[in-house]
Amino acid sequence: MAGAFDFAPAIALLPFGSFLVALFLGQYMPKRGALAGIIATVGSLLLSAWVALTVAGGETYNEPVYTFVAMGENPIQFGLLLDQLSALMLVIVSLIAVLVHVFSLGYMNDEGETGLPRYYGELGLFTASMLAFVMSSNLLMAFMFFELVGLCSYLLIGFWFRRDGPPSAAKKAFLVTRFGDYFFLIGVVAVFATFGTAQFAGEESFPHLAELALSGEGQVTTMFGLGAEAWFTVVGLLILGGVMGKSAQFPFHTWLPDAMEGPTPVSALIHAATMVAAGVYLVARIYGFYALLPTALAVIALVGGFTALFAATMGVVKREIKQVLAYSTISQYGYIMLALGGGGYVAGVFHLTTHAVFKALLFLGAGSVIIAMHHNENMWDMGGLKDKMPVTYYAFLSGSLALAGIVPFSGFWSKDEVLYETLVHGIGTDGGLGVVLLLAYAMGLIAVFFTGFYTFRMVLLTFHGKPRSDTARNPHGVHWNVKGPLAVLGVLAATVGAINLVPVHALVGSVPEFLHDWLYYGPEMLNGHHYHELITAGEFGGMSAGELPGLGETGTLFASAGISLTVALAGSALAIALYRGDSPVEHTDRLGSAKTVLFNNYYQDEYQVWLAQGLTMNVARAADKFDQGVVDGVVNGVSSVSLFGGSRVRRIQTGIVSNYATLLTLGLVALLVGIGLMGGWF
Amino acid sequence: MLQTLQISGTAALAPTLVLGVTALLLLLIDSIDPEESSSALLSGVATLGSLVALAAAGAILVATGGEPQSLFQGQLVVDGMSLFFTFIFTSVTTLVTLASYDYLKEFRYKAEFYTLVMLAATGMTLMASSNSMATAFVSLELASLPSYALVAFLKNNRGSVEAGLKYFLIGALSSAVFVYGISLVYGVTGSLQFDAIASELGNTGEGLVGVLGVGILMIIGGFAFKTASVPFHWWAPEAYEGAPAPVSAFLSSASKAAGFVIAFRVFTVAFPQSTVGVDWVLAFQVLALVTMTLGNFAAATQENVKRMMAYSSIGHAGYVLIALGALTGSANQAFVLGAGMIHLVVYGFMNTGAFLFIALAEYWGVGRTFEDYNGLAKQAPVACVAMTVFLFSLAGLPIGGGFLSKFFLIAAAVEAATIGTYVLAFALVINSALSLFYYSRVVKAMWIEDPVGDFEVGGYPTGLYAAIIVAAVATFLLLPALGLFTNVAVDAAASMIQ
Repeated sequence: MAGAFDFAPAIALLPFGSFLVALFLGQYMPKRGALAGIIATVGSLLLSAWVALTVAGGETYNEPVYTFVAMGENPIQFGLLLDQLSALMLVIVSLIAVLVHVFSLGYMNDEGETGLPRYYGELGLFTASMLAFVMSSNLLMAFMFFELVGLCSYLLIGFWFRRDGPPSAAKKAFLVTRFGDYFFLIGVVAVFATFGTAQFAGEESFPHLAELALSGEGQVTTMFGLGAEAWFTVVGLLILGGVMGKSAQFPFHTWLPDAMEGPTPVSALIHAATMVAAGVYLVARIYGFYALLPTALAVIALVGGFTALFAATMGVVKREIKQVLAYSTISQYGYIMLALGGGGYVAGVFHLTTHAVFKALLFLGAGSVIIAMHHNENMWDMGGLKDKMPVTYYAFLSGSLALAGIVPFSGFWSKDEVLYETLVHGIGTDGGLGVVLLLAYAMGLIAVFFTGFYTFRMVLLTFHGKPRSDTARNPHGVHWNVKGPLAVLGVLAATVGAINLVPVHALVGSVPEFLHDWLYYGPEMLNGHHYHELITAGEFGGMSAGELPGLGETGTLFASAGISLTVALAGSALAIALYRGDSPVEHTDRLGSAKTVLFNNYYQDEYQVWLAQGLTMNVARAADKFDQGVVDGVVNGVSSVSLFGGSRVRRIQTGIVSNYATLLTLGLVALLVGIGLMGGWF
Repeated sequence: MLQTLQISGTAALAPTLVLGVTALLLLLIDSIDPEESSSALLSGVATLGSLVALAAAGAILVATGGEPQSLFQGQLVVDGMSLFFTFIFTSVTTLVTLASYDYLKEFRYKAEFYTLVMLAATGMTLMASSNSMATAFVSLELASLPSYALVAFLKNNRGSVEAGLKYFLIGALSSAVFVYGISLVYGVTGSLQFDAIASELGNTGEGLVGVLGVGILMIIGGFAFKTASVPFHWWAPEAYEGAPAPVSAFLSSASKAAGFVIAFRVFTVAFPQSTVGVDWVLAFQVLALVTMTLGNFAAATQENVKRMMAYSSIGHAGYVLIALGALTGSANQAFVLGAGMIHLVVYGFMNTGAFLFIALAEYWGVGRTFEDYNGLAKQAPVACVAMTVFLFSLAGLPIGGGFLSKFFLIAAAVEAATIGTYVLAFALVINSALSLFYYSRVVKAMWIEDPVGDFEVGGYPTGLYAAIIVAAVATFLLLPALGLFTNVAVDAAASMIQ
């Protein structure tokens, strides 16, 4: 009987169909292709939910769908891997995609934008690529769709290509992520060269082969004379290059704030469910590989913790609402990386889930505000929108509380678990890894303060106080197609944390930890339980869980939650103290010279521009010299030889048929004599 | 999976019969009213006939699963290999007859043209099924004789007539060499049937290896003529240039594939490398190397687009010869042959398409040199996109199936892991790089250069356009969809090699 898995390819094919329909027929359709997109993504959502239910029933699926190159024992295939992780991600991505499509009706159609068929076409392709990426059963297929996701975000960020900003932002996003993907590509090749396969799951999967090789039961090819573990770490870090580019981790984060030039619903999709999520999803997907490599884990945790703090500080001084959200995205993905590096697989996926919900909400909320403000994004021109747009306000507030990590909103539960996992593994693990985890934890904890601060600064400046401009006094109304998605996400942002109430479970055992159970009982070698074993095994991850002195396990859990909540409240309280009242004023001058540094984003762009122009340009010039002189010289030499040879050949073709007959016969005789002499016939 | 069905002898030959009957039907239609023959009717019947044959070949392949069916006491055999090639022949024939609708509008004797094409196609499908030297020779002649007439079809054009005559003379010489080779092999083994020859090989007398070797090399000569390989290639540049462009398309794609299918069968079934004692693999290695190098080098210096395509077609014959030159003992033989078959499928579409674009240019009265194509993209963007796809796919860029099929050939040659095959793989890479140079000259002329004079294209002929676009779409789709063909090809090759 045909089950959910037989229809699974349609999850990605439906939005792909909407891409074709919107692109070619959108011009002739009401709403210019939006309906096709909505129908397709709703279809994907329903199918994803069906797949998730089937997976919940204990079935998983890992089969090839199409063989691309059938060669040797390890053919290059497209396949589907549907397990707990990918089923969860499918639901998230298709849910956000539906809401973004609906919201676009209000943001794009009602605002009278042109080029809508292109917009909806690209949106469909974007969704399709992400869904296919999520379902990928091997690294090469994942890489292909990873690149498609990158291409689509390039197209969408540059949607308003006639203005000055968007094309340049799109190019920047493309180039910076491409720089990371370059390492990823080498990583894919290295995985093939090392293991001969790039499968994610099964007995013949590369994480499993790596596990066998490290425990001395299998043989793999390593390069450059490195030992198995050192080489695997190199491979893991190469793949991590692509992850850091896509998930905007330091130092590849610079593209993301500029990407705000795209339409706001696109920002919601990029930040919550597609482009940026793709990076960390990949780490979760091959967690069985990273869990073997303590050095790689340390790098992931450190990069994550540092990015969380670094980006949060930049978010503090921004004037545009979307800029604040952009830095908060970078910071939040830092937390997810921190969790994965700190041995908290479930915590990382949990934060990915809650973040997808509340960040989509915040972006759509910001989009609603931007519609109301006639596309003015400066928060200092807003104020007082609370009474004019209550639905947007309450939804946005729900998302903000989640982002700041205030109990009981979803972000609190997940961020708390991220910090808790890192803390206990940092305490319990000996040696350098433990120290790194504690350092990363400290950075993550300080970032909580800044998160609370910038979040409430944003809420207060946007919605509270007195209106500070004419547009804020008379905002443009928004329709159901804007309010609907906001309401759905507002409720979810408040409640979705309930899927994994770890502290409550510790207190009252009967409250279930749904997500924990869900991820722990996946297919063999693909579940949280297995990852936990790897992480804690001495020969692999080498972590162990500790506790704060004198508090015991539960005590540590509550102490950690208490600390992070206190810090979040402190940050929020500072923001409220500074920016409450009818006419808040800028306090950035108090920061002194730090203000300039923060406004300039720590001069990250400047040094990258210098890298591109000062350094790369000179290297390119030198390479050009070499190319012009040596390579071209050789090529020109070869081509003049071949042209000369070619003209000789031309001359033999005299056009006289008796010459041909002679040459034909002579050629045959030469062949006969040559082969005959070698074969000893005469 | 469908069950393997037993198909009776006549039914298994359905594609051949359909093509033959279509040829006769065309003559019948023409005899009713020779002066007022309708172009649409004739082209339609011919296209329909080849489509039916195409469908029949597919249906038989699905129904029998490529299981060999021996017919007429083993004179003919219908198996995966022959059906696979029938697919190529009928596809090319369909495209050519469709395109000829517009091309031939102004000419007389249209019915004769289509009949000859159909008869040649019949001969080709018979070549694919031939299982003895006698049927091989007869079917080769059945494919060749109509071709001579087709090349000389433009009776009032000196170039066409001269090309036809040269083609015929070289063809006669080559047939003589071929049939002499057959007689020598018959003299040594005492049989004509391929499997019987193979079983007699072990019993040849001590002194007869030389005679057998000369015979085998002469048979290679016969196939080299059909595939336009060195040193039997002399006719090709002239015939392709002089012939009407659809005929050039037909000859360079289908006729070449026919030469290869019979060569594949003869050399794997009748002269298996393990028992024959004659190093024909080396001969094919030499021929492949010389053919691809000569074809590409000569193509690089041409001024005339059609003649450039003629030499490029010689170069591609050299690439496919790798499939025979890499059949060493160490090779994965099914994969090697399969790679050659796959290249011929892709080549069937991309090369036919390119020649049909030249037919379109001739239809418009555009000149023949590179300069005459300048700025054509401004007037006919769709056709020029199609031509760009053909040319880049021919060069092996990943815009069409040509990229993967060349990759398979390289992989097959490298896997065979002998010095000779490494040289072949290297030569393929070098020659492909060189070919990119001359293919992109056409692309540059079409898209970048400004038109020389103010030239207006005269209309957009439906049939030609349809054929070109179908070929372009097929070329493009063969990149992702080549996986569908690889299994069929490798299975067919494997079952023939045993």
